[in-house]
Amino acid sequence: MAARNPTDKTLGESLRERGVSRRGFLKFCAATASMMALPPSMAPAIAAALEQAKRPSVIWLSFQECTGCTESLTRSHAPTLEDLILDVISLDYHHTLQAAAGDAAEHAREQAMAANPGEYLVIVDGSIPGPDSNPGYSTVAGHSNYAMLMETVENAAAVIAVGTCATFGGLPGANPNPTGAMSVMDLVKDKPVINVSGCPPIPMVITGVIAHYLTFGRLPELDAYNRPMAFFGQSIHDRCYRRPFYDKGLFAKTFDDEGARLGWCLYELGCKGPTTYNACATMRWNDGTSWPVEAGHPCLGCSEPRFWDAGGFYNTVSVPTSASGVNVLAAGAAGAIVGGAVAALAKKQTKTAVAHRQPVTVEELEAKL
Amino acid sequence: MSELTLEQGRAQSQDAPKASELTLERGLAAFRAEVDGPVAAFFSSCVHCGICAQACPFYLETGDPKYTPILKLEPLRRVWENDFTLWGKIKGLFGLNHKVTDAMLAEWEELLYDSCSMCGRCSMVCPVGNDLALMIRKSREGMVQAGHAPEGLIAASVRAIQTGSPMGLQWKTLAVQINHVETSSGLKVPVDQPGAEYLVLLSSMEIINFPEYLEAITKIFDHAGVTWTLSTECFEATNAGIQIGNKDIAAQLVERVVAAAETLKVPKVISPECGHAFTAIRWEGPNLIGRPYPFKVFHIIEVLDELRASGRLKTEGMETDRLSMHDPCNLARKSGVIQQQRNLMGLVAENFVELKEHGKFQWCCGAGGGVSSNERAEPLKMAAFKRKKAQIEEVSPERMVTMCATCRTQLEEGLEEFNMEIPVVGLTEMIAEHLVEKN
Repeated sequence: MAARNPTDKTLGESLRERGVSRRGFLKFCAATASMMALPPSMAPAIAAALEQAKRPSVIWLSFQECTGCTESLTRSHAPTLEDLILDVISLDYHHTLQAAAGDAAEHAREQAMAANPGEYLVIVDGSIPGPDSNPGYSTVAGHSNYAMLMETVENAAAVIAVGTCATFGGLPGANPNPTGAMSVMDLVKDKPVINVSGCPPIPMVITGVIAHYLTFGRLPELDAYNRPMAFFGQSIHDRCYRRPFYDKGLFAKTFDDEGARLGWCLYELGCKGPTTYNACATMRWNDGTSWPVEAGHPCLGCSEPRFWDAGGFYNTVSVPTSASGVNVLAAGAAGAIVGGAVAALAKKQTKTAVAHRQPVTVEELEAKL
Repeated sequence: MSELTLEQGRAQSQDAPKASELTLERGLAAFRAEVDGPVAAFFSSCVHCGICAQACPFYLETGDPKYTPILKLEPLRRVWENDFTLWGKIKGLFGLNHKVTDAMLAEWEELLYDSCSMCGRCSMVCPVGNDLALMIRKSREGMVQAGHAPEGLIAASVRAIQTGSPMGLQWKTLAVQINHVETSSGLKVPVDQPGAEYLVLLSSMEIINFPEYLEAITKIFDHAGVTWTLSTECFEATNAGIQIGNKDIAAQLVERVVAAAETLKVPKVISPECGHAFTAIRWEGPNLIGRPYPFKVFHIIEVLDELRASGRLKTEGMETDRLSMHDPCNLARKSGVIQQQRNLMGLVAENFVELKEHGKFQWCCGAGGGVSSNERAEPLKMAAFKRKKAQIEEVSPERMVTMCATCRTQLEEGLEEFNMEIPVVGLTEMIAEHLVEKN
């Protein structure tokens, strides 16, 4: 790793060395532009910027996590945006992906930090036992997660928190949170932190953020949770292909009923789509093959804060989560009964009501004056 | 409403005794007729988050929680719960449900009419996607039938049906304005010209308050070589039926436009610079009359932008003042006409500054949805305007530009009320002033 000097070549040069044609490169830029919701006219600007961009040094830190985020990024079909970006950035340190081990691995991180002060990107997956926790809960090479994060971030240009553990605490931070897990943005206050949440996050969102950073030299527009608006600007519900069924009041009541077979809305089965912001419905997963709701399962809301603690996955969004378990069960049961009856009742009654509706005449109105 | 029931409805309205009464029973029946799939889904999925309150200028500027949008829907919600849900029926058996009473509707009249312009900002921010503005519109159907509509809107509806204009204008008034326009511009205003490309509709507000609009389109269409016409059969497109919330009145008014367009065989109809008139004729009309139009409907801003894009609109000179723009809700938020007016501003304004929240996110001026035709609502209308005022103060423009006669009147009145000397101009008129003179 020491032989690679990430600042030697521009992205354009290294791409051509790898046999990527000019045409292929422009196609990639156009895809990036559309992914970031930029007008197509931006593609040449992106191309120009990426041509000239130095390969940035990236240090990837993994803390209390399941490696799902890294899996998500690597389990993609070649050649993809993910490969392209990960091959052209200089990924100088990554526990799971690097060949080096032991002392050499740690030196790679230190070297990358020393060679590019103020310019390298830090990507973090996993949550961190906070400064008040026992430092022994999670360590790498004898350093506590907290110490390693703070040391690495000190001279970074920006920090990208990847996955719900790094962005909001995730599963390690769920009640009762034995390790005192905290998110990156809880700890890093003096550097730009961008959150790419999701359990795991969509791989293209990670590469999209990096491409944006390389093109414009700054991070993209963020929402209230520091997530890029381009991907987290709209709710799952608003972009869901089952939305027309919601609007018609057609809901699957169980996972194996007629409604479920007909692809009706999964709202009553606990879908968190209305309160979840992510790009699953438009980008989908596994190279655009499918996504949870298309596979017949309600959205769990994995890209939102406190998603493990925010009530049961199969409770409807409108059931108050503060109620006791018994109440929730009772409300759920009542909800199911009411729900079952509503559609049939509503249909019949609306029909009768519409048939009996008496039109208003102008004379009747005039009589009110 | 299906075609069949509409026809039954018409037959009934002809046979119906002249002064049958608008009663609570009829109101409840009308509420029930409005409960459909979306209404049931919306009420059962409301999470009581209250975000709609934060989106409503009437709530924010008064601070009174009774103006929370979802609360305004309480009568419709109760009808839905009591009559359409099993839980409501069970509660009913034990006498535990809250019935909708005449007193309740009287209390809610202010909430449904005076404190809501149906601007749709609440619908846009609702996290579960509930269309609250649509439900207000539906609730008003029940209110009218229960006899709880504001006097101002009843009078406007009656005049619209009887004279063809909610302000009681007749063709002879418009004829006088046409005469003025022809004298001052030296151009002919075409009337009842069969086969013209566009039928131009006006609103009473434009005829009386902003006659410069008619002069502007006369000049622009002459400049661009567009054939157009007015119709003596129907010159007014505002729809009091939509504002008061009655589909029978609304459908009759739409039928008049369709008949006039059919007589003159025009392929395109231009809605006036009046927000709700545009959404009424463009989006609700075909549903109201139960059949598709034989013509297309445009807002004048869409037409002007098309002319601009095809190079038929040639302008010279620029406005140097610092200008800002108010997007009418019906045009921007509800119809997606957002970029067009900015393209047109780009033609003639070199110092344009956006309000912080604009386009689909803009704040309502407070006068739409019948609020301005309802005299009683005046104090609330001015309270809601404070949100717009704060927005305007933030960017301190020298003039405001807009493209809806109601918004324009409200901006003028509001700015005057708060002693702000910022003139308001119509975008169409501003374009007309910059046309390249013909040789």
